[in-house]
Amino acid sequence: MVRSRLAAVIAMLLLTASFAAAQNSTVSGRVANAQGGVIANAEATLRALPPPGAPPMPNMPNMPNMPAAMERTATAGADGAFTFANVAPGDYVLYVDASGFERTSQTITVGNQAQNLMITLTPLIVPGAEEGAAAAAGVADTQLLLDRIKQLEARITDLESEAVLSEPETRVKRIEVYVDQNNNVHDQPVEGAKQQVTYQRERVYRRQTINEKIEEALAAAEDQAVKIGVDATTVAQGAGRTTGVGPNKKAYALASADLFFAAKLAQYTSFFADVVALSGAPPDREIPSLTLLNGYTARLVNQNELNLREAWLRTEFFGQRLGITAGRLDLTNYFDRNAFSNDETTQFISDALVNNQMLGLAVNGTGVVADYDPKNAFNFKVGFQQSNPDATSLSDSIYSLAEVGYTATPFSLPEGHYRLWYRNNNGSVDSKHAVGVSLDQKLSPFVGLFGRYGQQQIPGDWDRYWSTGVSFAKAMVFNPLDTWGIGYAQMDLAAGDKEHLTEGYYNFQLTERLRLSFMLQHVLDRQSDKFGYLLPGLRLQAAF
Amino acid sequence: MRNLKRILILLIVGLMVGAASVTRATLSAAVVKVPDPTKVVMIVDRDSNDIAFMDIASKKIVGRTFLGNNVNPHMVMMSPDGRYVVTGGTRANKAYIIDAKTLELVKVIPVDIAPEHLAFSPDSRWYYQGNPEGDSISVIDMLSLTKIKSIPGLVEPLNTVFLPDGSKAYVGNYGAHWVGVIDVRRHELLKKIQVADVPGVAKLDPDKYLGEIKGINIPQITNDGRYLYATDTDLGVVAKIDPREDKVDKIIRVGKEPWRPYMSHDGKYLITPNNGDQTISIVDLRTDKVAATLEAGENMTGVNFAAGKAFVISSTSGFVYVYDMNSLRPAGRMKIGTNIQLETATTDTKDEKLYLADSTENAVVVIDAKTQQFEKIMNVGLYPWGTHIMDSKDNYCH
Repeated sequence: MVRSRLAAVIAMLLLTASFAAAQNSTVSGRVANAQGGVIANAEATLRALPPPGAPPMPNMPNMPNMPAAMERTATAGADGAFTFANVAPGDYVLYVDASGFERTSQTITVGNQAQNLMITLTPLIVPGAEEGAAAAAGVADTQLLLDRIKQLEARITDLESEAVLSEPETRVKRIEVYVDQNNNVHDQPVEGAKQQVTYQRERVYRRQTINEKIEEALAAAEDQAVKIGVDATTVAQGAGRTTGVGPNKKAYALASADLFFAAKLAQYTSFFADVVALSGAPPDREIPSLTLLNGYTARLVNQNELNLREAWLRTEFFGQRLGITAGRLDLTNYFDRNAFSNDETTQFISDALVNNQMLGLAVNGTGVVADYDPKNAFNFKVGFQQSNPDATSLSDSIYSLAEVGYTATPFSLPEGHYRLWYRNNNGSVDSKHAVGVSLDQKLSPFVGLFGRYGQQQIPGDWDRYWSTGVSFAKAMVFNPLDTWGIGYAQMDLAAGDKEHLTEGYYNFQLTERLRLSFMLQHVLDRQSDKFGYLLPGLRLQAAF
Repeated sequence: MRNLKRILILLIVGLMVGAASVTRATLSAAVVKVPDPTKVVMIVDRDSNDIAFMDIASKKIVGRTFLGNNVNPHMVMMSPDGRYVVTGGTRANKAYIIDAKTLELVKVIPVDIAPEHLAFSPDSRWYYQGNPEGDSISVIDMLSLTKIKSIPGLVEPLNTVFLPDGSKAYVGNYGAHWVGVIDVRRHELLKKIQVADVPGVAKLDPDKYLGEIKGINIPQITNDGRYLYATDTDLGVVAKIDPREDKVDKIIRVGKEPWRPYMSHDGKYLITPNNGDQTISIVDLRTDKVAATLEAGENMTGVNFAAGKAFVISSTSGFVYVYDMNSLRPAGRMKIGTNIQLETATTDTKDEKLYLADSTENAVVVIDAKTQQFEKIMNVGLYPWGTHIMDSKDNYCH
């Protein structure tokens, strides 16, 4: 009984083996170069192709049910021969690699018959390589030359498709070396050697097109040149009296042209100058409001004359965290920089919605600003500026300002900027001290809220100012880059004078360099007389 | 009986030994220089025309594959199966295939003009080499290592992204305002998806809209593979694309001249560096709204995520700006050097370290994301243009 079972097992094994042998076959081959020379140690890989109807992307990450691709490898012997035994029928890719030769690959179909293939490898030639791998493999020089000619022909075709500069470039680089007492230079630190910076030429193989070369040269020239910018604006305003006495149904216009000059002087040091000329009659000449109804009026010193508005040097220290700016300044460019109401050229035109009136800066002057910005949520600024054109010395009428700024994203809202500032004045004015806050907070990606508050101390009392409003951008606009806003500002002076100002504006960005704005202001003042005005306006600005 | 048993045992043992001898795994004929491809940083050196392989643990260059003079390789990538490393030689108009273990150059394949960025299908079968100046994609079969097709009809194809199931690929056309949809089965352009309308005011500004076009860099896929987000630099928008219907689902307006989107590793946010106004826009992917717009630097070339922070590379300033991705607030700025040019970086798979190419110093800067300290690895090759780590979530080029 035992014998008969064993016999049955053996018979089944033999049957299975014979069946398998009938189904599978052998794939063998010999690897040689073009001249028939044997290539030993070549690596042959047989990879099964997916059967028809299989998913297009087997072995896909995150899809564990898909089988890994079937692959077998064999190494050719000293005679260049390799063999894959017991290969199941199907479609395969056979590829052969050998050091110094290009890979060869072919699709084969395996049936029941054994296959013997002749594999010919082509030498792999890397242009510029110091050693031809093919030469190492013993290929005849003639074949190398023929291959080289073929390669060069291909290169000429490439060059025809694109004009390029093929010469190796030389480039001077700043390098750090270690110089010892004998002036011997070492690349690595050695005892007794000092680390020094020097410059050295380096040869590189970057092939550039002629266009790239020209662009690079132009960019380098531009970087060295003095940059000039122009901001020309014309503001036209009408004024209709709504209450009280005073001029009525008047039209006003003010044209302004700023010329900017900027240049790089040294590492992290730059120069900037702004020369401005204004001409025209703003409403502020006739309407005695507490604040300027045209923010440009603050720049108007003399009609039709060029005035130096700003001229300063800026340099940066400590990893460019600390910046020092000194010269003729406008301190309001550095302090109380509200994102939505700080620019008479593109936002509100009313000065009460451009600057905090309690800053107390009337004109530009000589000054210094230090701003420390570690690029985290906080930043700090201190500065002083002379704000009196009639001052006889630098120590007269000095406005000192300090500000702490903080960037926050409160209550899952987008970013907001919050500032607290303090001002001191040593001049012969009533107001010696002032303090204020300023915030601009985005409520959504499109809507921003702003607010300011400031108060200045005068003998026995305080003058107060506040403003608020909303600004819109990127949504609810005619064109994607348009902006608009509505704002309100109020002044309450200790003397009893009061002003309520409301403004709405819409700024069309017509082109990169051209903007057109429409404004509508209403001002209501209660001074010795009460008066109110409605002022429609138009602002055309070209900046380039 | 005993003899029969012996015969049977000998037969089985003999069969096993025979089978093992036939199918045994063979060692490569060449020297294995990188036993584990996940343990190296690949560095593409534009001017020394090579790919350098730096061991992550020792920070030493363990191998280098020279491609040929004036090749100017642009982007390096390892196939998802870890078998090959590939790069496009921009000035040689060729694709280069390197064995990932021996670092031998196994094939040089002519492609179209100025090959730059590339992508692999998830199964490693197809290597799509974009040719921006040839307006085409070269399709390379990684089984046979041959170029099987060229896909024409694209306009400055800058980057390609495959869907996770490998059925379709999406191409960012920097010379147009549409994303190309490729049928991967046939390797053909299926569809063009316009990301946004050019504003009517454009006709007043021919210098901006006709002089030079800066369209779509890359359609970036979400972590779950459900949507793609593509920026249009000229139009200042991010378009959300539904790949099931190949239609634009939503348009999100961001800052000026967004370069491209970068997905945070947790899938919550994307960041666009906006070079037009030197800001970054952080888009909340749950609401598809801009969650914050924060100040950044000039000429931004990349964003990496690690240790809960975003690292934004400002190429020409020599700074890396850091942002806290929990509070969405600035978290500092790292000065990498003076008068240097930074390129792009990759992040390790643990999200701990960044490997930043510092081209003008021939260095790779290793940044510890947690401490924000860094170390420079010098002499990695001439003008390193980018880095790559297998399975990193931040493998990109510029």
